Amino acid sequence: MSGKDRIEIFPSRMAQTIMKARLKGAQTGRNLLKKKSDALTLRFRQILKKIIETKMLMGEVMREAAFSLAEAKFTAGDFSTTVIQNVNKAQVKIRAKKDNVAGVTLPVFEHYHEGTDSYELTGLARGGEQLAKLKRNYAKAVELLVELASLQSSFPGLNVPLLISSQSWMRGSEKSSIG
Amino acid sequence: MLEGAEFYFNVDHGYLEGLVRGCKASLLTQQDYINLVQCETLEDVKIHLQTTDYGNFLANETNPLTVSKIDTEMRKKLCREFEYFRNHSLEPLSTFFTYMTCSYMIDNVILLMNGALQKKSVKEILVKCHPLGRFTEMEAVNIAETPSDLFNAVLVETPLAPFFQDCMSENTLDELNIELLRNKLYKSYLEAFYKFCKNHGDVTAEIMCPILEFEADRRAFIITLNSFGTELSKDDRETLYPTCGKLYPEGLRLLAQAEDFDQMRRVAEHYGVYKPLFEAVGDGSGGKTLEDVFYEHEVQMNVLAFNRQFHYGVFYAYAKLKEQEMRNIVWIAECISQRHRTKINSYIPIL
Repeated sequence: MSGKDRIEIFPSRMAQTIMKARLKGAQTGRNLLKKKSDALTLRFRQILKKIIETKMLMGEVMREAAFSLAEAKFTAGDFSTTVIQNVNKAQVKIRAKKDNVAGVTLPVFEHYHEGTDSYELTGLARGGEQLAKLKRNYAKAVELLVELASLQSSFPGLNVPLLISSQSWMRGSEKSSIG
Repeated sequence: MLEGAEFYFNVDHGYLEGLVRGCKASLLTQQDYINLVQCETLEDVKIHLQTTDYGNFLANETNPLTVSKIDTEMRKKLCREFEYFRNHSLEPLSTFFTYMTCSYMIDNVILLMNGALQKKSVKEILVKCHPLGRFTEMEAVNIAETPSDLFNAVLVETPLAPFFQDCMSENTLDELNIELLRNKLYKSYLEAFYKFCKNHGDVTAEIMCPILEFEADRRAFIITLNSFGTELSKDDRETLYPTCGKLYPEGLRLLAQAEDFDQMRRVAEHYGVYKPLFEAVGDGSGGKTLEDVFYEHEVQMNVLAFNRQFHYGVFYAYAKLKEQEMRNIVWIAECISQRHRTKINSYIPIL
């Protein structure tokens, strides 16, 4: 009961009413903080789980894509220089949106397609089928990468507010346990 | 037949034919491939290749060994052999060799044109060019601004000039899609090569003409297959078909109208050579693709070319078989280095 947290007050009935109102306000504030910290924790755990799943999947998809590159090279020969030289506009683009979780805004990335495939006729005389498969595999890999980037960029965005709100809640519960 | 190549062939070309047959004998056999497939790392592959005719070709490579290093060294070896043959050849074998290198030259020219138009440095592109397709005017490419300039200044001196003239007039060179240009050049090249072999007559024509006819028809089939679902119109497609094959003229007309794989298969069924090939194609995943089946048939024809003597086809066949062997080794090496061994046996066996 003793300690630095003692509030100096003149013992009157009005002071008691005021103190009770203050106590109620502090308790509501503490509960809201707890709710915020819980919501953030929940979202945090969901994102963490999704990141792990996506990373596992990423390993498989990249392996598949690299192998389809080897297959395409076997049939079509070396088309790497042709591809690199004919690069102009990107076909897959990203939009950044904002998502709100318990007052914290998180960035979310979403991919969309634009424009036609400028490599439609590459491999026309040799290896076209393998090249089509290669394009599909790498497109899948890119989509997965965008999802992973979205998850990983929201991770620190969540982490800091979560720590702050849980610290505040802890401090609040400390104070209220004394008072 | 009083054409009798056996009377005078050896005077000019006997030494080279003996040499190429010796080189052919050193191609990797089935046993070599079995050994390679069982390797665990690229170092094992290098050790196994040392016991074959490749010898210590990777001896000067620093660690770590990569698949692209193996590929570059093998290609250098093939080029050395090819240049040796070419430097010691006499007419008309030298013209034959020039025709053989034209296909690589076409690829190089397309690369250079593309790079020059995008103002890329010529040095970078020269490194990527195929060594067999080298020609003297290569470095002069960057002086041109547009494709027509390029043609007038540089390409008109190369052996590729007549192929450009066949395709189009100079004005249309500017707007043409680079892939369409590549395929049109290849079509004129193939027809010119076929005419050369046919005019030469004798055993060379008997061996080379079926091989080139198959190449022409194979291109027609593959172009048709790959153009389903793209923006390539049927008329455009028809202009890309080489006319020196068995499919000309009715088959090509039917192919130009085809809209899916089954219609293509029906066209192929009219021709005795292609019917069994299409029947060997598996459906979708798992089975062989049409391209695999064509590769196998090409390899068979090239191996059979060595059964006859006194013709130039042995040089063509050797170069193609060696390239297939390089592709096989690179495939096996990639499967090993990516630890993806399920399809490691999908190389094309040669001998």
